[in-house]
Amino acid sequence: MIAEQLAANIIYGLLLGGVYGLATMGLSLIFGVLRVVNVGHGAFIMVGAFTAFWMFTLYSIPPLASIVVAVIVGLAMGFVVFMTIIRRLLDAPELSTLLATFGIGVFIEELSKFFWGPDYVGYSWDIGGISLPFTELPFTKLYAFGSSIVIAALLYVWFSRTKLGKAIRAVVEDKEGAMVCGINVNMVYALSFAIGIALTVTSGVLVTLFTPVGINVYMGGDYTLKAFVIAVLGGLGSPWGAFYAGFIFGLLENGSYTLLGLIPGVEPFGLTRFVSFTALLLILLLKPTGLLGGE
Amino acid sequence: MFKFKSLIIPFAIYIILIAIGLSQPGLWQPIMYIMFYIGIGVALNNFMGLTGYVDFGYVAFLAMGAYGMGVALGYFTYLGIWAIPLGFVLALIFAALLCTAVGGVALRLRGAYFAIATIGVNEGLRYLIEGAKIWGGSEGIILSGKLRKTFGPEFANYLSTFVADAALIIIIFIASVITVYMINSRVGYALLAVREDEDAAKVMGINVTKYKLIAFFTSATIGAMIGASAWTLKLTYVFPEDVFFIHYTVEAIVIVMLGGAGTLLGPVVGGLIYGALKYYLSVILPGFQLLVFAPLLLVIVVAFPEGVVGFVKKKLQERGIIEYIT
Amino acid sequence: MLLKLENVTKRFGGLVAVNKLDLEVEEGEALGIVGPNGSGKTTLYNLISGVYIPDEGKIIFEGKDITNLPPHKRAPLGLARTFQIPRPFGSASVRENVAIGAMFGRAHAGVDEALEMADEYLKIVGIYELRNKEAKLLTPLEKKLMELARALAMKPKLLLLDELLAGMNPKDIDKIIDLIKRVKEEENIAVVSMVEHLMHAITKFAERVVVMHQGRKLLEGPTIEVLNHPEVIEVYLGGRVV
Repeated sequence: MIAEQLAANIIYGLLLGGVYGLATMGLSLIFGVLRVVNVGHGAFIMVGAFTAFWMFTLYSIPPLASIVVAVIVGLAMGFVVFMTIIRRLLDAPELSTLLATFGIGVFIEELSKFFWGPDYVGYSWDIGGISLPFTELPFTKLYAFGSSIVIAALLYVWFSRTKLGKAIRAVVEDKEGAMVCGINVNMVYALSFAIGIALTVTSGVLVTLFTPVGINVYMGGDYTLKAFVIAVLGGLGSPWGAFYAGFIFGLLENGSYTLLGLIPGVEPFGLTRFVSFTALLLILLLKPTGLLGGE
Repeated sequence: MFKFKSLIIPFAIYIILIAIGLSQPGLWQPIMYIMFYIGIGVALNNFMGLTGYVDFGYVAFLAMGAYGMGVALGYFTYLGIWAIPLGFVLALIFAALLCTAVGGVALRLRGAYFAIATIGVNEGLRYLIEGAKIWGGSEGIILSGKLRKTFGPEFANYLSTFVADAALIIIIFIASVITVYMINSRVGYALLAVREDEDAAKVMGINVTKYKLIAFFTSATIGAMIGASAWTLKLTYVFPEDVFFIHYTVEAIVIVMLGGAGTLLGPVVGGLIYGALKYYLSVILPGFQLLVFAPLLLVIVVAFPEGVVGFVKKKLQERGIIEYIT
Repeated sequence: MLLKLENVTKRFGGLVAVNKLDLEVEEGEALGIVGPNGSGKTTLYNLISGVYIPDEGKIIFEGKDITNLPPHKRAPLGLARTFQIPRPFGSASVRENVAIGAMFGRAHAGVDEALEMADEYLKIVGIYELRNKEAKLLTPLEKKLMELARALAMKPKLLLLDELLAGMNPKDIDKIIDLIKRVKEEENIAVVSMVEHLMHAITKFAERVVVMHQGRKLLEGPTIEVLNHPEVIEVYLGGRVV
């Protein structure tokens, strides 16, 4: 019984982990290129979730197709935020960008609340699933997982094959060196920020395939915190580290949820969170470059 | 002493506010609402303003204070009136414990890593209390019934109105004196150096960890006192969801930035503007105050990073009025 | 012996920045350290002031082993330095900057005393009239003078100057060398001055010179003698220096 539950949760954790990884890549990319921690990260995930919800509810567009919309919305938002705010703060103390991204997150949430209201909404996209001996795997979750892998793979190809992608990698590795080589660093910054936000909004669409009824303007805070844990786990600033760390986090979260549920008199949901934040602090203290990071 | 001249304007602001509240009975609650925001601004400024570190988990210290008072009144009710001083002592102890734990871990980190770690501490603590069902877990501590049974309805009411408000006012006065004292002492100069260039500060002979901890500890204990009085004593309940709510941290940060970090007058003016504006907005635009404050924070950060007081201070720099404003 | 480095080595990955270096500084002496870019001079300063801990070897200050001491514990013993690229506490006033030195260095002054000392040293270096200005608004030369005042206000026994004179015009250089010589005599400070190019200045200032090359000590001895040594001339692309 427990073994079956654990097995089911491990599979579930792996699938969710793929989405977590994608949801963190944007955060890590932005930090890696611009050295800006996007404290308002979760708000963009929320925007993605609402994109999926409205596309489905208003136009019956299935969530997977909404990904295209999400990418466009994300690129546009990222570009606007960069040009209006982030660009002006690149030389300011770290405090400024932390506060600014925080303010952006709160503003997006409040604006969404103004238009969409404070209540939880959801949709139902029932397309069946695969029956395993110990659990039922809905296609929606498999699609979400598959989409994450495909998007990450496409990004990888783009980074390694295109001129722009290579330019971004060059800036991550050595900003001054890249400048000397004639790379327009400001353009790389704008582009990376926009791509980072687009990834984040897209992952918001995929998140709803796991929790289609948990859509709310304040849902992002939770994902911001998880993304921080994952990003640190993968080495802050390394998008690929973040992608792999997403799997680790998904497994740990769901595995420990099952195991902590065995302890009498506790609430496994809260304790799972406690465990993940303790892990965050330990990693920050012992190996701030991340479990998967190098020197 | 001339150094305490800079207390004159803040103290005048407090006294005028209190006088308005006392003379216009309908305004007492709005005034206390503003005083709460001045209080958390002054408290956070002692750390964020003086060190330049952003603590996104600051509200955890208010929560520790709230739980200190909550545990005293909820579990030691039999002590009668002595449960209240015990509450303040426990608030201090809880805050000091958290401070030691966080100080040991997070203060070794800088910038973004520090900010992330503090969010982790705040959320981790909240989920520990909820998950392990400590002090009532997510159901929290509800005190109103117990207080009425122990002290009688009249005295219980007196506690949550007069005593709670008086305690908050006293705390703000004391915190202001501490702030001015710190800024003008070696601690203030050491932190000024830390804020500007931590590595150069070390080479100048400054034990940066020690001074960061002093600021952290001072700020944390003031926060805990505010949590104990303005939350538990006044509202007579403690819910983890409320006391760990990250929006209070944001509000405190906005106040410090709005008024200007690193001076006493900064958070006082910031708290005054923020509290008054928020109260007014909650009347005309209930539920959407943050819709106004988030862009306000952005404008300050981008265009006005030294805040209202910092801006005025700069203008007055050569006129000798400056010593009233540190 | 004021400062003694014994067999000190510092590596960064595969690069040996300072290699088995021995160095001695006498109380009150004026020592020049010269060497081309990348010869390990800055690393040496960082080792002495405690920014880096050596991989091997020992650092002894006034008979006390300070090899593993953090920087903030070294300054109160009587160590002070300036930085090649000045590092003022930007939003603090010039006076506050210097007072911070007086408070936390060997002088260990109280706040009021430190502010008075700041005025005194600002007069000595000649930027007293700038005392209420924000430090970040100073010109590069003024910043260097402020750093010098800040280091002197610490009342050091050993002052490490990192390319203090670089980028200055000859008139300023002479003025500052005179100033340093005067304070050095009055307060019996040992001054170690590190330069990359200004050989002319070093002959005016230093009694003794150490030449560094690739993390090692190439030569040491009386200034004129060393600077005219064929090996040194070779390191500096040939040609007589004086």
